[in-house]
Amino acid sequence: MAHARISANLPPDIDPTKAPIAFGERALPKLNEELRSPELLTQQRALMALCDLVHDPENVYQAIGVGFLDNLKTLLLHHDSTVRQKTTEILYIMAMHNVGSGMISALTELLDDPVDICRKNTHQIFEMMAKLHEGAVGILHAGLIPLLVFKLKTELDEIQELILDTLSNCLRVEASEALATGAITILKEKLKHSSAAIRSKAAWVLLEIGTHPEGKSMVCEEVIPVLVSLLEDTDPEVQASATGALMFATVKPQGRFSALGAEAIPPLLKLVAEETSKARLSAIKTLTMLAELPEGRKTLLDHTDTFQQCLNDPCEAVKRAAKIAISVIKWKPF
Amino acid sequence: MLPARQPEKEEVAAAPAVPYTYCSRPRALPARPKYRAARDAAELEKEPIRYANLMYDRRVVRGNTYALQVVPVSTQPSPLEIQRQREARKRALARKRAKEQMQPRTPEPVEGREHVHVQTELYLEEISDRIIEVDTECQTDAFLDRPPTPFFIPAKTGKDVATQIEEGELFDFDVEVKPILEVLIGKTVEQALLEVMEEEELAQLWARQRAYAELRNAELAEVQRLEEQDRRYREEKERRKLQHMQMLQKQKETTEKIAAWAFAQRYLADLIPSVFNNLRESGFFYDPIERDIETEFLPWLMTEVEETLERKVLGRTMLDSLIRTVVEKRLDAFSRKPLSDQTEAPAEESRPTDAPHQVVGETDAADQPVAEKEETDQPVPEEQPSRHISFRLEESDPAGTEDLETE
Repeated sequence: MAHARISANLPPDIDPTKAPIAFGERALPKLNEELRSPELLTQQRALMALCDLVHDPENVYQAIGVGFLDNLKTLLLHHDSTVRQKTTEILYIMAMHNVGSGMISALTELLDDPVDICRKNTHQIFEMMAKLHEGAVGILHAGLIPLLVFKLKTELDEIQELILDTLSNCLRVEASEALATGAITILKEKLKHSSAAIRSKAAWVLLEIGTHPEGKSMVCEEVIPVLVSLLEDTDPEVQASATGALMFATVKPQGRFSALGAEAIPPLLKLVAEETSKARLSAIKTLTMLAELPEGRKTLLDHTDTFQQCLNDPCEAVKRAAKIAISVIKWKPF
Repeated sequence: MLPARQPEKEEVAAAPAVPYTYCSRPRALPARPKYRAARDAAELEKEPIRYANLMYDRRVVRGNTYALQVVPVSTQPSPLEIQRQREARKRALARKRAKEQMQPRTPEPVEGREHVHVQTELYLEEISDRIIEVDTECQTDAFLDRPPTPFFIPAKTGKDVATQIEEGELFDFDVEVKPILEVLIGKTVEQALLEVMEEEELAQLWARQRAYAELRNAELAEVQRLEEQDRRYREEKERRKLQHMQMLQKQKETTEKIAAWAFAQRYLADLIPSVFNNLRESGFFYDPIERDIETEFLPWLMTEVEETLERKVLGRTMLDSLIRTVVEKRLDAFSRKPLSDQTEAPAEESRPTDAPHQVVGETDAADQPVAEKEETDQPVPEEQPSRHISFRLEESDPAGTEDLETE
């Protein structure tokens, strides 16, 4: 039978692991058919070719129109790890462009995949989906939060970062499920992790938990001293996240008292004084909260010049926050 | 073909150094037509040469090639053969004559000679039907690989000519390669840029989202702080209001208490004297003798008086009943009298009859408390209506009876 290939040696630039892509509009339908073929090699090659194609958003839309998602869903449960890995990679890239909330149930099973890369891709997909509101709601409805929290304990560092990101985006919507599974204890451990990225992300998750009232009380009880110690961390990201988490935790009076007790004011003042700190805004806000307590006010009355400096910040929000802080500090009951 | 092959084999067997030549070049044979066409016609029309298929060519030797049937040599031809020869000769002569001009043939034999087929082989062979067979075996060496095909180097024909392209004659490399390079590098760079742009776009998006998230968090914290503040103020207000209300309440109670105390004091200022007065009036402080007299002596006295009066009343009642019986008897006696006498004197005697009637009523009333003991009381109220009647009937009585009654 005549082959399109003339010689046995392939030309030097062609990647033999990829399926040849048909021209123009036929590319994706043909790949779709190849994905359904019973031969493993064909499937793998089609997946590799597809992986390159989905970087283009137009192809993504066409792919979904052609009906790729069903095929990919079936392939998620393939016995071959390469196939699974490639499928998750494709889904990750596709998720960057839009949301496939129907994938969640299929992806849930992959969370326990023995191959690391598959799990990493799956978590990346979740993280991407959680960044959009509908995706976060979808993940919440699928009841994945307890599972993710549980995974935090056992997974690798990279994947932990992804899980923390996912959690922070989902918990922005609702926090009760996570609290029920004792997420705060786990996060408290993570705050002392050696990796700075994990520390900052764990603090961010605590921040998101703290935006909800029930989360606030839980955070106030246990975590404030650790957060205050993190304020003096070397990594600015960690400082920023910790300040943010403190900002929300000190909204409640008991939080304020424990923060004052943990002597949060000096490090916060240092953060405010730094011109380029990311945590400036959050630090100003936290100090505003603390200034509503009489002891806090007393201490901060000596430091109003720091806030005066903040009024010259180029960022509008910082200026406003500094003004509010000054007014709160100078407030008198009569 | 046999003679032609041998030199070829020799050539191959020896060494392929001498270039090979054919003694008769291989050519494709034209087809022999089945029927002889007229020579003139064949020469005139030049048909396209049809080449024959080797397989169906009658001229190709078939069958055994290792023992060929050679034409038998015969010095003394048989008569049949002689005849045949004669005929053949005739034909040949005829042909000869026809083709004298066209085909040069071997010259005719000189006189006294004739052409004869002669066997010129070195060795005379005995011709027999039995074919001499010799069995020969041949065996290739075991496991001998097929030797590699020798390189085919075609014969060199023609003249050797050399030519050389100097640099810069064909094209200027730098100039020509520019567009190709541009395309190559351009495409590569474009692809790389696309990828980098994609990543950068994503990174920017996330950075913006992060910045937005920070702002949002700050605003959210502010909102919550203000909410908290508001809640505290509200609660404080509520507490103070509550406190104030309680204070007012207490004040009110205190004033009421004071008022009540003052009032009570005044009210009860003369409590003791009034109490004593009341007691005295209600008779708590009593003289025992007086009391004794009152409780025991006087009731006894009264009872005695009552008994006396009752006896009097009893007497009167007895009298009444006596009078009554008498009057009734008289009534019976006088009942035969006409009624006109009664109607004349009702008005005159109504008033005096009323007065004694009232007196009788009073005595009856006085009799009633003693009615339990005296039997006459019972018939007395019953007799009252009959008395009314009896009075009317008795109006005609003389005044004597009235006097008796008034007693």
